Order: sequence, then structure tokens, then C-alpha cells
Amino acid sequence: MSYGGAAPLHQSSQSDIDEIENLINDSVRFGPATILPARPPSSPRASIPVSSSPFVPSALHPLPSSNKKPLPHFAVPSFSAGPSPQGIATDGLGPPTNTLTEPIWDTVKRDLTRIATNLRLVVFPNPNREDPGKALRDWDLWGPFFFIVFLGLVLSWSASVKKSEVFAVAFAVLAAGAIILTLNVLLLGGHIIFFQSLSLLGYCLFPLDIGALICLLGSNVIIKMMVVLVTFSWSSWAAYPFMSTAVSSRRKALALYPVFLMYISIGCLIIAVD
Amino acid sequence: MEEGYSSLPTSHLLGSVPAAVAEDKTGGAASESSSANLQSFPPANGGYQAPGSAYGGDEQATSSWKGVCSISSYTPYFNIDTDIVVDRLITSVYPLNDFTRKIDGNPDMYGPVWISTTLVFMLAALGNCATYLMRKRNEPDAVWNFDVTFVDWAACVIYGYALAVPVAFYFLLQYVGCNASLIHLWCMWGYSLFIFLPSSLLLVAPVEIFRWVIIILAGAASSWFVAQNLKAYTEGSDLMVLIVSALLLQFALALFIKIFFFM
Repeated sequence: MSYGGAAPLHQSSQSDIDEIENLINDSVRFGPATILPARPPSSPRASIPVSSSPFVPSALHPLPSSNKKPLPHFAVPSFSAGPSPQGIATDGLGPPTNTLTEPIWDTVKRDLTRIATNLRLVVFPNPNREDPGKALRDWDLWGPFFFIVFLGLVLSWSASVKKSEVFAVAFAVLAAGAIILTLNVLLLGGHIIFFQSLSLLGYCLFPLDIGALICLLGSNVIIKMMVVLVTFSWSSWAAYPFMSTAVSSRRKALALYPVFLMYISIGCLIIAVD
Repeated sequence: MEEGYSSLPTSHLLGSVPAAVAEDKTGGAASESSSANLQSFPPANGGYQAPGSAYGGDEQATSSWKGVCSISSYTPYFNIDTDIVVDRLITSVYPLNDFTRKIDGNPDMYGPVWISTTLVFMLAALGNCATYLMRKRNEPDAVWNFDVTFVDWAACVIYGYALAVPVAFYFLLQYVGCNASLIHLWCMWGYSLFIFLPSSLLLVAPVEIFRWVIIILAGAASSWFVAQNLKAYTEGSDLMVLIVSALLLQFALALFIKIFFFM
């Protein structure tokens, strides 16, 4: 459905507006299960940067979507290299930007920025730590995933025998542990959001990641113990405010004890793996 | 919803209606014995409780069951405060016979779950330490080797025991006609494992005689706890065979812990 050539805008910009409006209209009309037919992309095509004002005719970026045939539905999370787990990226400037056509680097950069921001909020001292609503409002699961896998890999590298078993144990304990800890808080009558809590427990692993890396490089048991002690305290300090405010004060110790148990056992695993 | 009442300073009244407790307090000894037969508050059946049913908790629990995947079906079993958990832990090692009475109105699953999990990690970690120390004693140039399969074995044995044995006894008790509640059995067996936590700390010492003494004492205490509570639970019926078998099973677990992890 093209508007013809009498528009005053740049030709590529008009086609972009067309495409966005078509996608919106089609999504409203057909519902969420439709695959829309491919429209031949016009060239040269302006890319739509996420944050700056659109329709800057920069012909530098090759079409990332030129090889993709059917355009998936607009509301589906973008399928580029670093998919955002949160669905449509709306930045408040009028029609939602299409995360399918942005360059891959933009997507990856956005996710990395979010990981860094969340890390700074959770693990490092900042005035918003006491309020879980503000602290991890923009939670994501990529950060925790990277940290868990990284910790498993480092432990696996440190081990001299049964490397894959060590990785399996570490990964299972951390992943299942995060889920079980969240369920524990919910069962005790606490008020948290399930995935936000998973996200937070994953981010609090970051100090233990650093500790494991240092222990991989050194080999003295005493130094390992000191490093693990410091990083374990740091992790617990990071997780404490969120967990303790989630349940009533008479059950605070019941909610916190499993968190300490998990971090202590991972700390012992870091020391013990030779 | 239970959360709405969490601000009331009534942790000792968990599971009971406040008005009912006022009469019970004059004659009651331990505060938890006054927790009557009401399992959850507000009561789901509009307060109706079959008179004289000691296991009325079961009816309450099943009436608030919203399916396997809903968290709120399991919340009544975690309706517990820190001080109550600590009290139950202490009761499990102190050889007085009032544990059954304490969990009667409000059996919790928090204790069994986290005691078993702690025991799994402690056995894996301390078992490795103990094995290394023993080898170092016999040959001075032994090298530390972390055997990660201890975690697998500990998890299978402890979780399997804590899950399967109460289920088996539940069915056996039902078969002989005694009305049993699975949750109470799980709770009791879970708390019976608590004594192995401090004893596994002591078992690290690389002196063989000392280790055997510790494990025999711990096994005996734990088995005695199980037998006493099972007897109190099946009051009236004479099920000596079942009780003795429970006692022997618990002792066998203690021996297995010593032989596998701390040899």
C-alpha cells in the first residue's frame, strides 16, 4: 500500500513511514498470529537509529533485513543477534521503532548497556538500593545468564579432573538455586516479582565471578580463602536489601538463610576445585 | 490472605483463632499446643471443623488446593516464623517427647526442605575434607582432590530418603488402618535429619574411633526421635514392627553417611 511519489519527504523515508504504518495497521487488523508478506525494500534505505531522531538519510548501513523473507509480526521480539527479552522497544517518540531493521550492533549495545546499568545498580553502592521497585526496574535475564555460564566455565577450567561434571554441578546449583530461592520467598508470603528476583540473584553472582577468576589464576589455598571470603560478603551484601524487604520482618532470616547457603556452597566449590 | 495479618504481634498464635486461644491460654502449657485444629486463617470452610479430628489439618489443606502449579496451594505449609522454626529445630535434638504436639496444627515444609539441602552441601564439602585429612594422615604426601560426585551422591541419598521413606510409611500406616497425614510425616522425618548437621562437622576430625562414636550417638539420637514421634503419632495402635523398622532405617542412614562420606 504505497502512497505514491508526491510526498514531500525523502523517498526512502516515505517508504519507512509506509512500512511502519503498514505493520501497525496489519497488526491491528490481523491479530498476533499473522506472518505478513514480504515487501521489497527500497534502496537506498535510511536506517532508523533507536535514540536519535529518525529519517536521517545515512546510506552507510547495509540492510540487515534484506535477507529475511517474511517479516514476522511487529509485536514479536526482534530476532537480530542480541534479541531483547522484553519485546517491543518503545522509546516514546511517536510510532514504536522497529527493532528488526536496526543494525545488530545497536541491539547488542542496548543489551550490554542494560546489563551494565543493572550491574551498577545491584552490586555497587548506590542510594536506590533499599527500594527494590526502583533498583531493578529494568530487569533482564541476559546478565544473569552470562554470569552463571561464566562461573560454570571458570570452575570447569579450574578443575583438573571431571571438568564437565563440575560445570554441570555449578550450573545446576546456580540455576535451580535461583528459582528455588525465589519460590521460597513467594511461599513465605513475600511480595516479589518472579523474574525480577531471578535477575537480581543472577546479578549478585558478579563478585563471585571475579573471585573465581582470581582463584583460577592463583593457587595458594589461603589466598583463595581470603578472596572467596571477600567476594562472598560482597555478594551477600548485594542481595541482602532486596531479599529482606520482600518478606515480613518475622520471616526475614528464613528468606535470607537459603541465599547465604547458596553463595557459601558456591564459595566452597570455588575454593575446593583444584 | 495470611499476609494481611502479618503485622499483628501474634506469632505464637499461628494457626489458631485469637478468641479460642484466650480460653486455651489458662490451661495451656507450650504456646503451640494451643494452636487447636485450625490449619489456616481465615478458615476456608467458613470455620467448620469436624469435631475430634486430630487430622483436621488435612481437610483444610485439601480445601485450599488450587492445583499443582499454583503457589498458593503450598503456602499453608510455609506459614511459619523464624522463632518457631528455631524452636522446632531445638526440639528435634532435645530428647523430650513433644515434637508431635508442636507440629500438630501447623506442620511446615520449610524445615525439611532446607535441612535436607544444607545436609547435602555439608556432606559433600565436609566429606571431601574428611577424606583428604584421613589420607594425609596415612600417607603424608597426599594431594587434595575434590571429588564432585560427592554432591551427586549426597543429593540422591538425602533427598531420596527424606522424600521416599515418609511416603512408604504413609502407605503402610494407611494399610494397617491408622489415619496418617503425609505432611506431618514429611515434617517429622525432615527435622529428624537436623542432628546430622553438627555431627558431620565433628566427623571431620581424622580419628577413626572418635568418628564412630559420634555417628553412633547421632544415629541413636535421630532414630530415637523418629521412633518416639511415630509412636506418639500412631497413638493407641500397637505397631511395634513399623516403629522398629523406622528406627533401624534411620540408623542405617547414619551408618551410610559415615561409611560413604567420612571413610
